[in-house]
Amino acid sequence: MSRRSYNAGWSLTGWVFLILLLIFAVAPMLWMLITSFKSQFAALKYPPEFIPSNPNLEQYERLLSPKNEVGRQFLRYMANSIWVSTATTILGVAVAVPAAYAFARFRFPGRQALFFSVLFRNMFPAVVFLMPLFIMMRWMGLVNTYSSLIITYLTFGLPLSIWLLKGFYDNIPIELEQAARIDGCTRFQAFYLIVMPLSAPGIIATAIYSFITAWNEYVYALTFLNDDQKLTLPVGLQRFFTEYATNWPGLMAASFIMSVPVVVMFLILQKYFVRALTEGAVKA
Amino acid sequence: MNSSTGRKPTPRGLFGRIADHRLDYLYILPAIGVMLLVIAYPIYYTFYLSFFRTPPSLAMSDKVFNGIGNYITILTSESFHEVTINTVVWTVWSTFFATALGLGAALVLNRQFAGRGVLRGLLLIPYVISAVAASYIWRWIYHSDFGVLGAILNRLGIIDGKLNLLDNVNLVLPSLIVVNVWKEFPFAMIMILAGLQTVPDQLLKAARVDGAGAFHRFLHVTLPHLKGVMVITVLLLFVANLNHFTIPWIMTGGGPAGASDIWITQIYQIAFGRIRFGLASAYSVILFAVMVVIGYFYVRALTGNDDVRRRG
Amino acid sequence: MFALISARKGRTLGGVGALLVSSAMLVAGPVSAQGSDTGVDPETWTPEYVRSIAGQTEPNTAEECSQVVPLDYSGSVDYWYVGPNEASPELEHKMYDDFWAAWEETYPNIEVNAQNLGYNDMLNKLRTAALGNAAPGVARLPILWGSEFAAKGQLSELSPEDVGYKTENFWPGAMKSVTQNNKVWGIPTNNETMAFIWNAGIFEEAGLDPEKAPDTWAEVVEYSKQINEKTGKAGYGLVARVNAGNTPFRFMPMAWGEGGGALDEASDSPSYQEVWVNNDGTRRAVQNYYDMYVRDKSVPVSALTNTQTENQDPFLANQLAMVIAHPSEYATMLDRANKATGDDKAAAMQVVDNMRYGMIPRGEDRRAVVFGGSNVHIFNPDNVDGDLDMEAAKALVCFMTGPEWSTKLAWVSSNPGNTRGFETVWMKERLDTIKFLDVSTSMLPSGIPFPPVAESPEIMNIIIPEMLQNALTEKMTVEEAAADAEKKVNALLNGM
Repeated sequence: MSRRSYNAGWSLTGWVFLILLLIFAVAPMLWMLITSFKSQFAALKYPPEFIPSNPNLEQYERLLSPKNEVGRQFLRYMANSIWVSTATTILGVAVAVPAAYAFARFRFPGRQALFFSVLFRNMFPAVVFLMPLFIMMRWMGLVNTYSSLIITYLTFGLPLSIWLLKGFYDNIPIELEQAARIDGCTRFQAFYLIVMPLSAPGIIATAIYSFITAWNEYVYALTFLNDDQKLTLPVGLQRFFTEYATNWPGLMAASFIMSVPVVVMFLILQKYFVRALTEGAVKA
Repeated sequence: MNSSTGRKPTPRGLFGRIADHRLDYLYILPAIGVMLLVIAYPIYYTFYLSFFRTPPSLAMSDKVFNGIGNYITILTSESFHEVTINTVVWTVWSTFFATALGLGAALVLNRQFAGRGVLRGLLLIPYVISAVAASYIWRWIYHSDFGVLGAILNRLGIIDGKLNLLDNVNLVLPSLIVVNVWKEFPFAMIMILAGLQTVPDQLLKAARVDGAGAFHRFLHVTLPHLKGVMVITVLLLFVANLNHFTIPWIMTGGGPAGASDIWITQIYQIAFGRIRFGLASAYSVILFAVMVVIGYFYVRALTGNDDVRRRG
Repeated sequence: MFALISARKGRTLGGVGALLVSSAMLVAGPVSAQGSDTGVDPETWTPEYVRSIAGQTEPNTAEECSQVVPLDYSGSVDYWYVGPNEASPELEHKMYDDFWAAWEETYPNIEVNAQNLGYNDMLNKLRTAALGNAAPGVARLPILWGSEFAAKGQLSELSPEDVGYKTENFWPGAMKSVTQNNKVWGIPTNNETMAFIWNAGIFEEAGLDPEKAPDTWAEVVEYSKQINEKTGKAGYGLVARVNAGNTPFRFMPMAWGEGGGALDEASDSPSYQEVWVNNDGTRRAVQNYYDMYVRDKSVPVSALTNTQTENQDPFLANQLAMVIAHPSEYATMLDRANKATGDDKAAAMQVVDNMRYGMIPRGEDRRAVVFGGSNVHIFNPDNVDGDLDMEAAKALVCFMTGPEWSTKLAWVSSNPGNTRGFETVWMKERLDTIKFLDVSTSMLPSGIPFPPVAESPEIMNIIIPEMLQNALTEKMTVEEAAADAEKKVNALLNGM
């Protein structure tokens, strides 16, 4: 980590800007949390109560208790989301690592073109592909299965993953591997023992990215899954609270619960993310 | 085992070289395979369908070949003009403000102080939560009848009466841009933060010794170093914004009176609301064309970066 | 009532003309001039009449359906429907549970893979599914949706006779909604019309007669203004969101009432070729909306992003005085009030006590309401996932459209599509326990179905709401907005 001089001086503007930005970033989340502690009626008071006069955990109890239908359903959605996101993440890493390694190390014909074609994926909006992808998934018999989502989600994370990891592998001196090979390692062992640990921050970062993208995806999940039991959280969220009655506190509580896993994960692992970007993507 | 790591340039034909490296391709096969699967067919199908008329009264198999009729319909329609302006406003301003806020945040955070990690973490939260949840949260904050924002502005005496953002043709798009910037500025922040850590200390010190002020140092030392990462950030955000569907769709559905309709919500509306898959496909192809232009710059920016990286 | 009935003349409709309405209960003003063809007196369909025929029969569904498909038939079928959800009253959940229990007992060897889909998701999902040949065998769809699938050849022909019932036992208006090109593509499961609901407490506060609903739409505009001026609360629960079925269900009654329409669906013999969206009547209705939203500001500001769902909140919070809603709104409100706690509960209960149901107001031309409900369809085997087991599909359709289950499944929110259901003991029980049921039921004869053409969803869910938004945001004048909508509808009908 680079060492910055302390006497660079905190300009007042910097502080003011930071505080305003912090309010902008955090206040909506706070309001979500505050609303979620209100009753459905209290939420409709206007002007609203900034501190709930009668805070309660009613919404959370309903959503998280397997004793009632709503809770069972919500927990099921959550389990589905965890499964889809985890599978996407693991597969994503398994696919991205060898590809990034090959793009960094090997000099096969068409390498550049293929590399950029991978990066090009993000150019295509999800919405445009809904229909043809559905038809294709149907041919493959994957409609209403998690596989359809996992395959699709894989391609969201891959461009960034491959790009980041390739940056890492570019920076790992090839001599290290060669030395290991001389010591009798196979190529795989050299990769596993030398290259993998050095690129760990990159792998962690790409894993977080894949997980979050899959966790939050909405449009494909809406189209590919029919079975009520199989829905993921973002779709479930919409199903639950907007059809026949709006329940703002319930919606806010569900949004909060849904955000907790990814936010916590990101807060714990964010330093790897920054490191990965620094070392993998932008380091000159 | 192939020998690709030790390169001996063999003067053989392309196919020979491909054969030499055939095992290398196995490494990238899964990645390329899944990409092809999910992208190639949809692209083909979109192009193909863009030349057909598919009115709601006809089954897909009875679609009528229409040449470039769909393209003419779109390009000459009144709404295209309006939606395109919205799209440009949405994409450019979202990208601009997200990058500007991200740059500011990164500069402030790029020093050592207690609580820096926590602060960075808090600022990152909006980026991590789902766009669906974000849309609901902001719809609730903006709510014309019960929203907290209206209540605060009323109390501060800034407005009197109902705050009308999402039901107002002039304010709806700026309001959605705020939500989008909220969601995206952390991404710019973290990218630029990563970029800042590569600015060599010695250069900054040298500049200070030379008597350069903070602003001067930023302009002449820091900023040139950030150029690469800034270009990539801006392009990534630009593409993401052009393709952004969830926030406008959940918050307003493109309304009121089309005031927050952008290309991507139009495409969805034409395809699934009005069931004109042919027309929607043509619209998509137009969007692709724009993307290809941006993609050209994106790839150029990346290769530029790649060169820098290799030199370093 | 009188005005609209006397204005109706006999007519024969393509496809529906063949159906003869034999029973006196099958009345219908504008919906079915067949009524007058068969000498039926539409005025018999009063709350009193509804009560008088209920409770006479207790049909045996298993016996009736065994005539169509043997009870020991073994097979399977996929079924999609919009069923009870998180917000539905407990009773509705119970009825559906009972339905599946009874089904399993009756046809133990037919496996039904049932998917309860959300109202907002279902249409787009079904379109994609049918296109990808992954449609379910059987689907129960809201009344407006079937036409599109029928037009595309994605449905199988299906009439009441195919499952052992008589066409004459279904509402003519409902049969109209499943008829296209002289063929019948589905069977009505349940039918309802909305009613006008108001909060007597707010009326009193505003100095209005708490027990009297506004009789005309012009009065609604005046009431709304007066309520807003006197109490600061919102008068009428106007909604104008695009892409929400809610919007046309609330606007079309006003447009028809004033003598307008989308196409000529409100005329004596609709051709569905004429466009009425820019006539005096429709413009008058748009003007009413404009007056309330822009001129008087007497309705919720969030109307352009709202659906009726969002109006439940302010209504229950005693902040909104008048809405148009389903018969089930009372049950929903009561349910929600019951879930409240402490002070909230007392306040909400007060609002529920103050709820009043009345007829949808009249316009200058007539009284009208959307004839709503659902129909069950069997998809075309070509579009179905796997092989379509037609016998299993028919058994399921027979089971749900009989007098018993078309009454019970409609318990809270609708009325039996099979009008024999009105004679059953279950109907009597409903009338005894559900408040205001007789009022909303008596609106059925004023019901007009949306045009049964493939273009209907786009006209109703997009063009009409866009017209309203154009006028309400003052992007266009009322005249310009109506003219713009007319242009769009014409382009649509010309196959654009």
